[in-house]
Amino acid sequence: MNLNFPIFELPPEAEKLREQVRDFVREETGSGKWQRRGDFATFHLPGFSERLGSRGWLGMTWPAQYGGHEKSMLERLVVTEELIAANAPIAAHWISDRQSGPLLLRYGTEEQRQRFLPEIAAGRCFFSIGMSEPDSGSDLASVRTRATRTDGGWLLNGRKVWTSFAHVNHYAIVLARTGDAGESRHGGLSQFIVDLRGKDLTIRPIINMAGGHEFNEVVFEDTFVPSDLIVGEPGNGWDQVTSELAYERSGPERYLSCIRLAEATVRCAGKNPAPAVRETIGRLVARLISLRTMSIAVAAQLQNGEMPNLEAALIKDLGNAFEREQVQLIQAIQGDIESPDQEFLDAMTEASVYYPSWALRGGTREILRGIVARGLGIR
Amino acid sequence: MPDKKLHPVMQADALIADAARRAFGDQAKAYFEKATDDVAQNKALREYALREIADLGFCDALESPDNASAWPDAAALIRAQAYSGLPVDMVHILVGQDTAAAIAREAGTYEAAPVPAAVERDLPAGSALFALGRCLQLGSAMEAAIDLSLQYVQDRKQFGRALSAFQAIQHSLAIAAEDLAAATASTDLALSALVTGGQSARFVHLLRSAAVVNAGAVTRVYEVTHLVHGAIGFTSEYALHHHTLDMLQWRNDVQTLLGSEAGCARLLGDQAVAHGGVWAGVTGLMGNPAS
Repeated sequence: MNLNFPIFELPPEAEKLREQVRDFVREETGSGKWQRRGDFATFHLPGFSERLGSRGWLGMTWPAQYGGHEKSMLERLVVTEELIAANAPIAAHWISDRQSGPLLLRYGTEEQRQRFLPEIAAGRCFFSIGMSEPDSGSDLASVRTRATRTDGGWLLNGRKVWTSFAHVNHYAIVLARTGDAGESRHGGLSQFIVDLRGKDLTIRPIINMAGGHEFNEVVFEDTFVPSDLIVGEPGNGWDQVTSELAYERSGPERYLSCIRLAEATVRCAGKNPAPAVRETIGRLVARLISLRTMSIAVAAQLQNGEMPNLEAALIKDLGNAFEREQVQLIQAIQGDIESPDQEFLDAMTEASVYYPSWALRGGTREILRGIVARGLGIR
Repeated sequence: MPDKKLHPVMQADALIADAARRAFGDQAKAYFEKATDDVAQNKALREYALREIADLGFCDALESPDNASAWPDAAALIRAQAYSGLPVDMVHILVGQDTAAAIAREAGTYEAAPVPAAVERDLPAGSALFALGRCLQLGSAMEAAIDLSLQYVQDRKQFGRALSAFQAIQHSLAIAAEDLAAATASTDLALSALVTGGQSARFVHLLRSAAVVNAGAVTRVYEVTHLVHGAIGFTSEYALHHHTLDMLQWRNDVQTLLGSEAGCARLLGDQAVAHGGVWAGVTGLMGNPAS
């Protein structure tokens, strides 16, 4: 077995940064700009994203020439984990900061970088993911949205689903077929930056079982994409979408989705919590410490230029399992909590209803376990 | 991205770790080839193996258990021994400085012992270091059991194909490996706290955390490795049982040393409550001691 999670310590400047983020969150909630609610992926507040941008907390690791701040991956980790742990409204910029920006940094043209990255880092330009389709989920290589060449660009035809915040964001990076799939089925895919405010596409809401509107269906009917908005080389889309998976799967968003429920449990547990409550809280702490240790290791490896995709998939599966079990563990001791208040009950309701979504986003359990099995040499 | 290369907090000397894996592997192979039902003769074999190990200087790796800077190498030795299955207990040797105890346990045995409640303070002297050694061993016993399973499911054919071709088998082993990775990360974090800060309160809390995560991982690894092996894993002729019984013994030892798993969890829970929340507890317990 060859899994590698060396121990890295967060540098003192990162811990100082943590205090700054906590102060900022207190200032925001204290002045009533927002109250903690929802998991990180559902709370969309553009003004907050812009305030983060003005503090230098978006595009943190990018070069200064593109509006970045040249910080390390560990400093970025501290900012993101504190914001997620506080249930701050980060959904607007989340995708653009985590993956669209890094994608453009790596594969985009100079013109694309100069046009989009400074705006993303300022918290004014928001991206959605355009991968899944009605008939393509885990089997991403089967996408049928097609882009064909036309004068000055491409015409897109097809449908994307589960496109979070397409109704309020500015752009989506759409994966489409531009050529032959080849034997591996990974050929002939390309990525395009699509203007979601354009007239020649249709965005329809998909309401989730909690009644929330995050998802959308996006329909392309001869949607025009200018040739300067293709990302990277035509046909290289598969390598591009899979290159950023370590960034996408190893972060704190994979184990802190329902931290709000755990915090409410502690707050409502009373001065002398029941033994069962103390034990459950302690089990959550122990599991979180192990997950965060691994997550820091992957962030440090990314900083060092490594690409630990296997380790990242493993963290996501463990993290999602933890999130599911956390809800069950707290449900089991709910009657032992001294004074559950409305905030606790709201968090419990939300966690109970939302938790199927946590494990789905970013790769299902079965896909992740398949990746781990391949890493173990048995697949 | 800026060029700021990061370095792990601690790493064992790679040469020592490699040499230890080879030496313990060789000694374990020789021991299990010769071991019989004769308890006295087995003990003599273990004494012989230990002399060979001692000749390599491995028994002096930790001049004193309090010598924190020697712990990364000591950990590599302890792990190598546990992975090999050789019943010459490096924790007794390095931490307990007790050679007689180090060869006392026969291979392939397990005896439950009563587990005390966890105590907040006054861990008996040396018991935290001993428990750390047991956690290190637990991880390597689990790794050995998983490695045997990975090989077995590729060799064993049923329904016309290797067991490893079945997705259910792949996923079971993936989960076991994931739980082991979490346990190893927890143990390594406690070890790093010892290396950087000695036997601090932070070290003890992180050790309790490692004890809780390791205990859960043992349950999973025990179950999965035996289920994929079928009946052969339950026999005394096949090596899996050595690692299984080691795991059970060492998990029990950790609880004897630190208090019950549930008790350790309760004390961690108290820490979180004292910090004012789960996240504050996690970042506080893990926090950089230098800042």
